This record gives sequence, structure tokens and C-alpha cells, in this order.
Amino acid sequence: MLDEAALKQVMAIVLGVSVDAIGPDASADTIPSWDSLHHMNLVLALEQTFGVVIPDEDAADITSYALIKVVLQEQLGR
Amino acid sequence: MVRDPLADPGASLAQVMAAVTAAEARSDPIATAHIGVSAGASVDMLGLYLRRHALLAGVRLSVSQGNFDDPLGDLARFAEARCDHLLLAPFLDALEPAFEARAAMLSDAELEAREADLRARWRLVLRGAGGFRTVFLCGLHRISAPVAGGDRLDAVISRLNQALREEAAAFANVRWIDLAGLVADLGRRAAFDLRFYLRNTAPYAPPLLDEWARQVTAVSRAYGTRFPKALVLDCDNTLWGGILGEDLASGIRLSPDSYPGNVFHRAQTEFLALQRRGVLLCLCSKNDADEVATVLASHPDMVLRPPDIIASQVNWSDKVENLRQLAQDLNIGLDSLVFLDDSAFECEAVRSQTPQVTVFQVPASPPDYLAVIAAIKDLFLAGGVMTDGADKTAQYRQRAEALAEQQAFATHEDYLASLGLTVTLARDDAARSTRIAELSQKSNQFNLTTIRYTDGEIEGLMADPAVAVWSLEVADRFGPAGLTGVVVVRHAGATASIESLFMSCRVLGRGVEFAIWPAILGEAAARGCTRVRASYWPTAKNAQAADFYDRAGLALVSDAGGVRSYAAALATFAAPPSPWIEVLNA
Repeated sequence: MLDEAALKQVMAIVLGVSVDAIGPDASADTIPSWDSLHHMNLVLALEQTFGVVIPDEDAADITSYALIKVVLQEQLGR
Repeated sequence: MVRDPLADPGASLAQVMAAVTAAEARSDPIATAHIGVSAGASVDMLGLYLRRHALLAGVRLSVSQGNFDDPLGDLARFAEARCDHLLLAPFLDALEPAFEARAAMLSDAELEAREADLRARWRLVLRGAGGFRTVFLCGLHRISAPVAGGDRLDAVISRLNQALREEAAAFANVRWIDLAGLVADLGRRAAFDLRFYLRNTAPYAPPLLDEWARQVTAVSRAYGTRFPKALVLDCDNTLWGGILGEDLASGIRLSPDSYPGNVFHRAQTEFLALQRRGVLLCLCSKNDADEVATVLASHPDMVLRPPDIIASQVNWSDKVENLRQLAQDLNIGLDSLVFLDDSAFECEAVRSQTPQVTVFQVPASPPDYLAVIAAIKDLFLAGGVMTDGADKTAQYRQRAEALAEQQAFATHEDYLASLGLTVTLARDDAARSTRIAELSQKSNQFNLTTIRYTDGEIEGLMADPAVAVWSLEVADRFGPAGLTGVVVVRHAGATASIESLFMSCRVLGRGVEFAIWPAILGEAAARGCTRVRASYWPTAKNAQAADFYDRAGLALVSDAGGVRSYAAALATFAAPPSPWIEVLNA
């Protein structure tokens, strides 16, 4: 089961925004600090926090909260 | 116990980010520093880990990132941003796309041209970086998998690194960071993340960045805030396994041939190697002093022997008091002490009552001890030690013997006259700049203005025709004390101003600080100066020098909040005579 609170927490820390800014619609388009550099850090931080490896083909594309959720749930086995 | 993620090597990236941000927001740092990072690959995340390790060393570090593979442009940007340190990380594939693969095809002539090009470029960069206190130049490394038995790429990298090191050797402020060694130590798979290498030119994974930053911080000696001088060792379960009072000399474990004695034997050998590099070794142990002395003198497996230990506090009193006593005996600050003990209680007592002392605890499991020793070695040796700083024990011992002899003479002057003291003065000698800068960083107690200079700044002052940088080498019949004093004089019109005066405490009390003035001010008079000005700036440590210029015979002009200004006419000024000292010119 994906811990969404933990997910929001990690995203907020890495992107340098408050947790409230991470809503279901959050994406690279709505959060100005979400550039390619922060995205890389985000992927690394998610992998460490949730103990998963995000496949290379997904890593570059998961630029929204919704997509991140999908990929993490896939990797966590549900 | 919950570890602070700031210090926990197992903390995740997000935890480190949160901990660093929080620590920077709340902490009252001992010091601040600013580093510019110029690299041929994307290393933004290195900044996070640099800040982490700086905070762990009590320093709040600002990090400026340069542009991609533009060291010369970065120099100008960092100078404008007032960075005081610079990290340069050239990157192999930035030389040419897929250079690692191309290296196999390079002809000898092409490789030679590559090397010449690399040298020319980095010489230019390093020459332009003279204004930074420290420049960390990181070596090239491979990312591709090694070929068993070595391949041409290994040879190419080693040749290019050799060229970089040779160029760096010409600059006193450059420190080498062996990045290839770090990669090898960590393992290639943990060091790199090829996904981001190929997409974002960001090859380095967090574990490597963390270790890289740790090493830079160590080599920088916490950005110039840390000058450990003495290692204070507990005895039981630190120098040997077991407890002397219970196991007796025959029962303590110290044999090189069996476990766990071999761990302690090795530990002692490491401590001895540190002593040979200039670290002062002391004992601080709750034990019977005679029993410890006997083990030290005659236990067959001891590596450390009485002459290797400069001072001991072996008794049943409080260790905090004993540490204060050791610092006083050696005439060094508590912040120059590193304390190693196996007892969590003693470590915590020292940490809480004398936070200036750096504390290491011997781990419960002997094999873990080696990692702690590695960290201690790093603290003393990272960044290199100056040759003049080596074998300090012998110098301090001379001082102790001189103190003992002092008792036998009728007057202090008789004693001084018997010493055969000489002071050799050198002016603007660039060969001495590194030691002069080092002394300026370390001298606290007899330091009148406490201006800290870098090698480059000293070289700049030496080249300035209006400034004279004098250094003193003191010797007596017991032997030379090395370069132990510095005077920086600035000449402007008719006035000679003493910008700096600092001396190592171990040569004070013999009149050296008074004997030097005829030569130094004589030279100022020859330049046309008729007045001398000087000042004393108070710090937490230099109270003993507060009235020095009064004693030297200068007139106090003003005292503003402890900052004391002095002046005198050169024609009438005369420092107290010290006829027992012969002043020589280098």
C-alpha cells in the first residue's frame, strides 16, 4: 500500500514547497521549481524512500503526482 | 536511539535534504564559508552533501554552482560572488564525447597533444584561482567497467591525472582529491547512476557524492576552522584489550599474533605513525600511574614507548580536569585536543563539559576500531602536513628539558645567556610562505591582531614593495625550533605599521619578541620611515599579549573597547635589550 503522506512529504522536501502544494493535480506544470534537475533528485529520493527502482523508461516521464503514484504502486506490487 | 539524519550515513536523500535545511535554519555556526563548484559534469547534488558535512563540522557553507565545463568563466563568477573556496572537477567525457571509448584509439602523438592541451587549460585556471583560500582539484576517473588486467584507458587516465597533479604542485593553495580512489573504494555500481549520466550528464549517485563531500571537508580541515595538534589516549580497551587493574600486565591483550590483541597492536602502530608525522600523543587514563608506566616501558608487545608520549595524566581524577591540565602543560587550546576513550560515560562527560575537544569513542567490537582510527588519521592528516610541523614531540620535549634546566641558574638572565640563543630573520622569502601562512592559522595566544593569511596572501604581501614579511627562526643549544615567529610591516610614507605579529608560544619568555625590533625597524628607517604604529586586537585567546606593546616600550594612543593602538618615533624607540640573543640575517 502506497503511503501517500510519505510521498507528499518527499516531494515537498525535494521540490522545496510546502506539503499543501502537493495536491492530486500537482505536476511539473503547476510547480515552478520542478525542473529537470529537481526531477532527477526526486526520482532518487523516491527510490530511496520507498525502496524501489524506477525503470529508466519511466524515470524521465513521471512528472506529475498522479503518474508518480501509478509507477510507485506498480513497483510496490499493486 | 534515533540518529540525527544529518549525521546518519544511512539517511535517505530526502531526510538529508530536510535535515540540512533545518540545521542551517536553526544553527549558530562557529564559522561560515562559501565554495564555488566548477565541474565538467552536473554535480548539483554535491552541494547538498558539502553543506551536510560542513554542518557536521560546525560550519555553515554556501555553495555556488558554476556553468557546465567552464572553469575560467566560473572563476570570474565565483570571485564576484565572494567564494573563498573552489572545487574543480574536470570530467573525462567533457574532453570529447565518448572520450572513454575513444581513448583506446588514441595514437601516442594524439595523447601527447591531449595532455599538452589539458595542462595548458588547467594551468591557466589554477593561475587564475590564486585568490581562493583552497582549491580542491579532483582527479579524472573512468565510468566504464574496468578490463581485467588494465587497458589503455587506465593508462590514459593515469597519465592525464599525473599531468594535472604536476600542474597543481606549482600552487600552494591547491589540494588534490583522488576521485578515482573514491570510486574504487565505494565500488563502481554504487558510485554511478548511468540513467542520469546519459540523460542529464549527472553520473554520480548519492553515496559517492556523500563520500566526496566528506573528503573535501576533511581536506579543508573544516574550511580552515580546525587545527588538531594532540591525540589524547585512554589506556584500557584503547591502547590494549582488557583492564590493567584487573587483568594485570600479563593479561592485557596486545599480541600482534592473536585476536583481539592484533587490533590494539595495530592501533598503537597507527598512533605511532601519527606521532612521527607531528601529532602529539598524550595519555589520559584512570589507572595506577606506576602500573601504566611499567607497561609502557617494559611490556614486550607495546608499540608506544615512553619517549613517544609527550604528556600523561594517569590518575583517578576527573578526565575533563585532566584534559584541561594537558592543554595547559602543552600550551595549546582545548580545541587542539582529540580525545579517544572506550567509555561512553567519559566521552559524554568530555563532550558536554569541554565541547571544544573532538571526541572519538572506541567501538565495542574490535574490528570496528579500524574505521574510527581511519577517521582520526583523516582529521590529523587530510590535506597534508607541513614538514616543519613534523616531529613536534621532539621540539616540545626540548622545551620541557629547557624548563628543567632553568631551575639550576641563579638568575633568569644567567640561564638565558647559557642557551646560546640565535634568531635568524628572513624577509620576503617566498620559500617560507607556506609555513608562515600555517603559523598564522594556528597561532592564537601570542597573536596581536590575529589576521589569518593564506599561502597566496603571504606571497602577495611579499611581492608588495610597501610590505615586508619577516619570519624568525629560533635556535638554541638544544636544537632549532623552526620557523616560529612572523612580523608583517606595512610602510606608508613616514609610518611603518605592524600589521601582524605572532609567535609560537614555545619560544616565548626568552626575549626573542623584543630582540627582533632593531633589525626590523632599522629596515623601516632605511626606507625613510620615522614613526612606528602598532595595535592589539583582543580575541578569546590572546589576552596574554594584551600589554605586549606596553612592555616593548611603545606609547598607548587609544584603547577603544579593548583594541589598543600604539605609536612611537623611531629615533627614540628602544625595546628592552636582550643581549643574550644573537640576531642573524638569513
